[in-house]
Amino acid sequence: MHRALKIYKILVAQNLKRVMEYKADFFTGAVSFLIDQAIGIAFIFIIFSQIPQLAGFQFEQIVFIYGFSQIPKGIDHLLTDNLWSVGYFIVKKGDFDKYLTRPINPLFHVIAETFQIDAAGELVVGISLMIYAAPHAALCVNALTVTLFVFAIPFCTLIYTSIKIACAAFAFWIKSSGYIIQMLYGMNEFSKYPTTIYSNIIKFFVTYIIPFAFTGYYPALYLMTGENPLFNIGGAVIISMVMLFVSVLIWNKGLKAYESAGS
Amino acid sequence: MNKIRKQYLPFVRAGVQTLIAYRMNFMGFIIGGLIYCFVMYYLWQAVFLSSGDGSFMGFSMTDMVVYIFLSNVTGQLTFSSASNDVGEEIRDGSISMRLIKPVNVDMSYLAAEIGAALMRFAVFAVPVMMGIEIYRYVVCETIMFDLVRFLLYLLSIVLAYLISFRVNLCFGFIAFYVKNLWGIGILKNSIINFLSGSLIPLAFMPEQLKIILEYMPFASMNYTPVMIYMGKYDIDEILFRLAIQAIWALITYALSKLIWFRAVKKLSVQGG
Repeated sequence: MHRALKIYKILVAQNLKRVMEYKADFFTGAVSFLIDQAIGIAFIFIIFSQIPQLAGFQFEQIVFIYGFSQIPKGIDHLLTDNLWSVGYFIVKKGDFDKYLTRPINPLFHVIAETFQIDAAGELVVGISLMIYAAPHAALCVNALTVTLFVFAIPFCTLIYTSIKIACAAFAFWIKSSGYIIQMLYGMNEFSKYPTTIYSNIIKFFVTYIIPFAFTGYYPALYLMTGENPLFNIGGAVIISMVMLFVSVLIWNKGLKAYESAGS
Repeated sequence: MNKIRKQYLPFVRAGVQTLIAYRMNFMGFIIGGLIYCFVMYYLWQAVFLSSGDGSFMGFSMTDMVVYIFLSNVTGQLTFSSASNDVGEEIRDGSISMRLIKPVNVDMSYLAAEIGAALMRFAVFAVPVMMGIEIYRYVVCETIMFDLVRFLLYLLSIVLAYLISFRVNLCFGFIAFYVKNLWGIGILKNSIINFLSGSLIPLAFMPEQLKIILEYMPFASMNYTPVMIYMGKYDIDEILFRLAIQAIWALITYALSKLIWFRAVKKLSVQGG
């Protein structure tokens, strides 16, 4: 554990050096994400300019849900961005061999290798929106709700990470699985809005199958109402643990099946 | 003419073959788009329910459903991967292989993309449009399909595609200066999505902003063809909008040529 932490520090420092070297790249990435977010908010703003509330939620409450949904997404983006590369080209180009020849866990190595500072765009916007919306969002704030809410964040993040690990692992069998990550990851759109707007089938799907509802709406709903912590927060904990377990299982199976590609 | 066909037909064929070879990628891309349509569908349904009188700034829910799916189809048909392809080739230096061939560099990209666009039309756009028409038939109980409008839509799509291709090419050339293509890609997509009306109909924007946006090249890339198909424009307006599209197609063509001739002098290939 101590050793892993030391290695992680070295790899992150290495990444930050690269960021300092290519400042324009970092700037482009962060500004891109900022603008992407600003447009997301403009969208909600335009809708609310015509209607007083959406499915029973005020403008600020929807902004709060949106803002919160960016936090787990941003943390996952910051820490595990290299999984995309595994899916898209590391396995295909035969570059995965290098992770197998090092004396550390390959999954840990893959994740530790990239520290994607561009994610600052999502995190800054997410936190700002929550701060902006919180006073008007009729939150139910007390020691218990805030503690449980913050406690849920790492688990929400793991939902993203697990989906990426499992999908990236498919590349071990089929060489390139970037599009699978893209497809499932894209479903995080569902997390930005109250699940009450969806039909029952879709609601079930985003709650239990690809549970992005737990990365945005449910935890935010808990902080708004203070009700149902067992489902809104506990659900995120249990589902994320199950998903992590299954995805690591798939990853390890994949590693056994892995055959190097390329020359 | 025959010479041009002989020169570029292999690129068209290669475009089709690439799409077939990476068909899973293609499917993922399409399914991702459809999932997004459904999120939008439910979101707008909630908006219409909350708005009380069943209409939202001149759009009925039926209009909105047609808009969401049609805008997605139009986005797929006018999709251009030029910014990525050019950017990658500039970054890894393989663009030099294109430079030594006796073909026009941008025409060779265009030819490959036309192949892919034809495939998209056949396997994706046609079924979704049939779905849209069946939906309209069921809801309105009359056939809403209008052949003249459809043909004008196709013409508008061709212009929209040419603009999209040139705009993408310009973004791709940024790789001559910045190496973070992925950031540029996100920036480009979010700007185009918002300003072209594929995220939200431009009709819903504040009045002044809407008028400005309708004259910008982005509206020509998605909003104009969709409005034509939906019958929201009368014939005078259609001709006017098509003229604007044609003007933008020319301007973006000139712009991409200008950037290309300036940037290619600066080309330095990293590594060998």
